[in-house]
Amino acid sequence: MQLLAYLGRRLLFVAPQLVGILLVSFFLLKLIPGDPAVMMLGPFATDDGLARLRAELGLDRSLLEQFLIYLGNVLQGDLGTSWQTTLPVTTDLAQRFPATLELVTLALLLALAIGVPLGVAGARYKKGLLRTTADYYGLFAGALPDFWFGLVLIFLFYTTWALVPAPLGRLDFVILPPPEITGSLLIDSTLAGNWQALRNAAGHLVLPVLTLGLINAGPILKMTQSTMERMLESDFSRYAEMCGLPERVVARKALRNALPSVVTIVSVLYGFLIGGAVLVEIVFSWGGAGQYAVGGVLNADLNPVMGFVLYSAILSLVIYLIVDLIYFAIDPRTR
Amino acid sequence: MAEAPAKGDGAPPGSSATAGGSGGIAFFLALLRARPAYALGYVIVATVVVLAVLAPWVAPYNPVQASPVDFLKPPGWPHVMGTDATGMDIFSRVIYAPRIDLAIALAGTLISAVVGSALGAAAGYYEAQRGIGTFAAGFVMRAADVLQAFPVFVFAIAVVAVLGQSLQSVVIAVAFVNTPIYLRLMRGQVLSIRRMRYVEAAYIAGVSDFGIIRRHVIPNAMAPVLAQLSVNIGWAILLTAALSFIGAGVEAPTPEWGSMIAMGFQSIITGHWWPSIFPGLALAVTVFGFALIGSSVEVLADPARRRALAGELEARRRARLATA
Repeated sequence: MQLLAYLGRRLLFVAPQLVGILLVSFFLLKLIPGDPAVMMLGPFATDDGLARLRAELGLDRSLLEQFLIYLGNVLQGDLGTSWQTTLPVTTDLAQRFPATLELVTLALLLALAIGVPLGVAGARYKKGLLRTTADYYGLFAGALPDFWFGLVLIFLFYTTWALVPAPLGRLDFVILPPPEITGSLLIDSTLAGNWQALRNAAGHLVLPVLTLGLINAGPILKMTQSTMERMLESDFSRYAEMCGLPERVVARKALRNALPSVVTIVSVLYGFLIGGAVLVEIVFSWGGAGQYAVGGVLNADLNPVMGFVLYSAILSLVIYLIVDLIYFAIDPRTR
Repeated sequence: MAEAPAKGDGAPPGSSATAGGSGGIAFFLALLRARPAYALGYVIVATVVVLAVLAPWVAPYNPVQASPVDFLKPPGWPHVMGTDATGMDIFSRVIYAPRIDLAIALAGTLISAVVGSALGAAAGYYEAQRGIGTFAAGFVMRAADVLQAFPVFVFAIAVVAVLGQSLQSVVIAVAFVNTPIYLRLMRGQVLSIRRMRYVEAAYIAGVSDFGIIRRHVIPNAMAPVLAQLSVNIGWAILLTAALSFIGAGVEAPTPEWGSMIAMGFQSIITGHWWPSIFPGLALAVTVFGFALIGSSVEVLADPARRRALAGELEARRRARLATA
């Protein structure tokens, strides 16, 4: 009950923030030079045709009017059309968001699998190879440009050793994609029993997931290590030690208490990567949501960018709500 | 009397550490000896800067001169790092590049630090006061919320797209993206400093708001900002290179790491790795250098860690003396 009231309060604050985000992005993007009408009709369009198209698109009205119309459409679930793909933005995003989500989710799982154990080890041992690795991993991973690291992996695993399929999209062209259910190729092809597609999709995922996972393990490691250190030095750990509990048990209890901050950093990374994975998406021709938005910005195609910003804002909202629920489950103090 | 209290009885831990015995260049050098990795950071950055400054004399070739006969030569002699698809010498371009990358990153980060800190200091200071101040402070913070709700990279590209593709636009994009970080950092600092005795004393003594912020609040809040600054320059270099990589930053023939990596993108599939690998390596090593410097500054700026380190250094010195 308490939780529901809390969630209700949260949602109340969210609505004006969403409108603010839409307002700012709308006016910012309207400032970008370039006339969609000219871009759509090409260099040989007549003035008459341009004027007609502008009227059709509502470009001849005042900015405020345009924004209000846009807002009204958004409330009805209409995000407009992208002139590049000539499809409704909702259709485009429904295709591209799952691609990004699958990539980012798997990458973060990998990052967790690397960052948490290494961070715990770094906090438990004061000396030794593990400690040194933990101390410098974050700094080093944070210095790697992800788009370049992806290229290095392509060179090694595709060009040199030919271990993975060509870095072009999520599936080879010759492979029939499974019917879309969840949007995740791994899950969909498993559900359809299409093992060939499953193997191929997994092969395509390996390098981009490695790229993002290895780099983003850094912040997770750092957070785990510093929180773990604090927990191991706190009174409850010292008490457990004095009572003669084995070190493993003490560490496990400490980790349990360090979990909330790990959850926090993962949620922050998740929100960041939805848009931040764009460079890796470009390198691997992933066809994800970030790539779609960047294409929109570079071609004066307003609606896709607005749609992307809106989707990612809502998504990070959902993530924060889920995180709150997880806190509720793992941290008794919130109950 | 109103001018005195900053280093007086109510002085916060931040200024007492610099005033104490552990300050100065000797301590800094001892720190570098005790933690060679930090020294490595300074060496990396110094090398990159010196090479960039001396580039016209060090570089064996003109960085923008294409030589179609020598395209895609593998690393060797006379092209130490090989040549790219248009026959430009990669080594020359790699050492010219920080002239652009570092300049943009430094300018962008400094602008954001100055603007963000000033706004953050004002927001933090006025937030607790009644009237128009609270309202303005709230407005600034909500604006920062909205700015940060944007995906960083898409926002940066949009800024460049609005302003037109040029060096200045990239600088402004970098500044825009980083300003909220300093805004929040400074606001948090100021909110806690504001409650210190020496600030109350200055207020009672009749020092103006501006005087208090300038003489008492900002100097005491600077340490974490400086630590953030050195970490941030590294990120800014990455962002600059990333913008150029997708073609929204510095344009092609200009030597710049990100655009060089982009130019080598196609060749890497055919096995010509050097046009992309070398500039990326230079970029990663430089950012790593800044990250190391950043963590050394973090230690120096945090009074508790600084004291712990000073104790450790002292213990080591004693141990050395004892064995000698």
